[in-house]
Amino acid sequence: MDENNLPEGTLQLPPQWSTLAPEVDEMYYFIYWVSVAFTVVIFAAMIYFMWKYRRRPGLKAKPTGHSTALEIGWTFAPLILLVVLFHQGFTGYVRGAVAPEDSIEVRVRGMQWNWEFEHRGGVIDDLNYLRVPVNTPVRLIMSSSDVLHSFFVPAFRVKRDVVPGMYSTLWFEATQETPDIQCESDADCPEGLWCGNTPPGGEARECVLPIFCAEYCGAPRGITASAFDEGGRNTNHSTMMGDLKVITQAEYDEFIELGPPPPASCQGRDDINECWGEQIHQSYCVACHSVDGATQAPAPNWKGLFGNQRQFVDGSSATADENYIRQSILQPQSQIVQGYNNVNMPPFRFSDRQLDAIIAYMRSLNE
Amino acid sequence: MTAEVAPQPHAHAPTGEGYLTHERGLKSWLFTLDHKRIGLMYLGSVLLAFLLGGIMALLVRAELLFPGETLMEADTYNQVFTLHGAIMVFLFIIPSIPAALGNFFLPIMLGTKDVAFPRLNLGSFYIYCLGAIVAIVAIVIGHVDTGWTFYTPYSARADSSVIWMTSGAFILGFSSILTGVNFIATVHKMRAPGLHWKRLPLFIWGMYATSVIQVLATPVLAITLFLLMMEKTLTVGIFDPALGGDPVLFQHFFWFYSHPAVYIMILPGMAIVNEVIATFSHRKIFGYMFVAMSSISLALVGFLVWGHHMFTAGMSEYATMVFSALTFLVAIPSGVKVFNWVATLYQGSISFKSPMLYSLGFIALFTIGGLTGLFLGILSVDIHLHDTYFVVAHFHYVMVGGTVFGFVSGLHYWWPKMTGKMYSEKLARVAFVFVFVGFNVTFFSQFVLGSQGMPRRYYDYLDQFQPLHMTSSGGAFILGFGFLIMLFMFVKSLVSGEKAPPNPWSSAGYEWMTTTPIHPHNFAEPPVMTRGPYDYHLCTEEELFPGFPEDFKPSEKAAKA
Repeated sequence: MDENNLPEGTLQLPPQWSTLAPEVDEMYYFIYWVSVAFTVVIFAAMIYFMWKYRRRPGLKAKPTGHSTALEIGWTFAPLILLVVLFHQGFTGYVRGAVAPEDSIEVRVRGMQWNWEFEHRGGVIDDLNYLRVPVNTPVRLIMSSSDVLHSFFVPAFRVKRDVVPGMYSTLWFEATQETPDIQCESDADCPEGLWCGNTPPGGEARECVLPIFCAEYCGAPRGITASAFDEGGRNTNHSTMMGDLKVITQAEYDEFIELGPPPPASCQGRDDINECWGEQIHQSYCVACHSVDGATQAPAPNWKGLFGNQRQFVDGSSATADENYIRQSILQPQSQIVQGYNNVNMPPFRFSDRQLDAIIAYMRSLNE
Repeated sequence: MTAEVAPQPHAHAPTGEGYLTHERGLKSWLFTLDHKRIGLMYLGSVLLAFLLGGIMALLVRAELLFPGETLMEADTYNQVFTLHGAIMVFLFIIPSIPAALGNFFLPIMLGTKDVAFPRLNLGSFYIYCLGAIVAIVAIVIGHVDTGWTFYTPYSARADSSVIWMTSGAFILGFSSILTGVNFIATVHKMRAPGLHWKRLPLFIWGMYATSVIQVLATPVLAITLFLLMMEKTLTVGIFDPALGGDPVLFQHFFWFYSHPAVYIMILPGMAIVNEVIATFSHRKIFGYMFVAMSSISLALVGFLVWGHHMFTAGMSEYATMVFSALTFLVAIPSGVKVFNWVATLYQGSISFKSPMLYSLGFIALFTIGGLTGLFLGILSVDIHLHDTYFVVAHFHYVMVGGTVFGFVSGLHYWWPKMTGKMYSEKLARVAFVFVFVGFNVTFFSQFVLGSQGMPRRYYDYLDQFQPLHMTSSGGAFILGFGFLIMLFMFVKSLVSGEKAPPNPWSSAGYEWMTTTPIHPHNFAEPPVMTRGPYDYHLCTEEELFPGFPEDFKPSEKAAKA
């Protein structure tokens, strides 16, 4: 991606990254200049009268006359303008509300305080990370598992509340890929991008488009800064941010086929799978599974688990090999180890490459 | 005629004690049925609420000086902005003008002794106090972090002190309803002889329109909050989807009240501006009947546009279309008011005393606040701006630049009549400069923050927004400092202010016809209105300029010289 050819924002509006943005901005600037015109005329008249008719000896106010024509005029003349504004705004809104038929669909789940994205074929993107192809309409089907959220991407000029108990949708078509730039702070990124969420490994952040949660969704007690919790999750309404990465169609197709690629911080390393597995553990598993070999609550410790003999509640047993691990992740309720009847681990959907990485990481814990 | 022999208006009024001193002791206040004393007690209460809410506002702005933690943790911040909103809306803005200044001046401007139901009036004050106490208990014992809108299901799942807070708002609503009923009855039945509808001061028209909304809309808030309490205490599924409810239904209910409530807040501000512009221009408001009817039509149209708070919330596209179209209608009566105010200045005799400065400030800021409302009415643009700082800036331009400026203008305007004391005009002007400049610095920068995409209610924010946040916070401290000067100025006036003449602004308004200090029964003898409240051409110079220096008077002789 050519970094010198990115869209630029204006003093008032962020850069345009979607097909909807130019139309919205045109409307914005139209009403802006209408407002400026009205303001200038009203203020000029006020200031002129204030000076001309300032109270001074000898000046007596003239009794107020009245002009029905003038009153009718300024009551109904603005109506014409208002009809135009309504009509333009509504047609723009309808275009934004109806997704093209050839849109690809992405399932979005909002939860306090993270975004989860599921692509077709059940491919789950990294937490708080959304990849979309360029020049393709994308329709989001969104739901919330707890309170109200709102999916907002300023660069696309789209926003929609994410409501528990119902689906809401929005669509957009990105017009440009986001450049591949690694960063340490927002200052390293071109206009309109932010230095995305910290990956669980704590390194190699990249510049992406920000996804905000625009509907207030609270905060737990005791959170002081914009920190992430131990699992690399966001912790409150103001940090419920997602990374939006626009990629080429070819890159997107590869992503759908293979699932999310290993994180940038692991690429090029000899232990790429172990490194990736550790990061997945940090994102999804650390809340219940320790890896220090000591604590066993609330779920089994991973250290020394691989190759171990497992006793299940139904009395059967098995060796913890690759197939056992795979099934325990995809269908955790199918084989419950004794002593963990009440844990209720939810099923996770990972790509084969991710499962390989988790198994590699688990094996490395035994060394 | 010369100044020495200029008679006081109603020179036949007894020179006895005024309403403040004719009875003394705590009991004479707590059990008073005098609308003026009740108005003053309201005034004290709402000013206290304004101080509290203002401190919360400064805490919010201080926290936002820098990204990340500046003063407090995220959860505390969420509570602070919730309290700022809830206190300012329910305890300050809604009762500010109607219950305090309206209570005080509505009967006087109608030329009557009191409101129609004085006991009910005292009752509504105590209901207000009870509501305020319940709300403050919620603040002290609990953990209210839902935002002033109490959106479900967040509020349904939050700490139980949300119940206390909503109970407080529920009780406050009844105070509002009773005041509204009282005002409507008073305006209909208690007008002085000669005071027909076409002579009614525009302040009264504004209060009347406000009262209609209070009576019709506030019960819906009560119902909504009651349902919320039911849901929380009895776990009946109404709004929480986990119990089978619909969270968007709450938003419909809430805004069905809270949008008309916006007009409960702004109409009284506009009402005061009418009085002040007329007085300080020495002219009847241009298009009197159009201005009066614009208040009534705002009150009515205000009931039909609640959905514009929910364009992104998941309504059907058809509902969205209707609400957007109706929303634009609000612009018409608002525009009519602004145009007529400006036309009133034309060929007037304009004096720039501090009340007038605030009213002129009102017109300027309300113009900006109103026009930015158009941005939010346009559907496609609103999608981008909804729930960002643009909305925050817009409603502060209307609620602070509008209502608070109107309230402060009225406070300066009527202060000499209420207290019998003058204040330092110089200090008042200094305070105005700080308030006006501070306000614009604070909130103009928020328009840009919002259009750039900064969402509301954020504890932490991206680095790119920091310069504008810092500017906004800087402005907030200037604004706060301006209000401190104003507080000092008013306290100084109470302690050592000069005695106020009965008509210091040379106004033709009815409330200036009575003595200062005001007679306990408002007028020593029931007045008969023989002219309108803005008929400057029918007033004698002695009526308008009692005790003013000769060269101040625009008499024929001076005009020739």
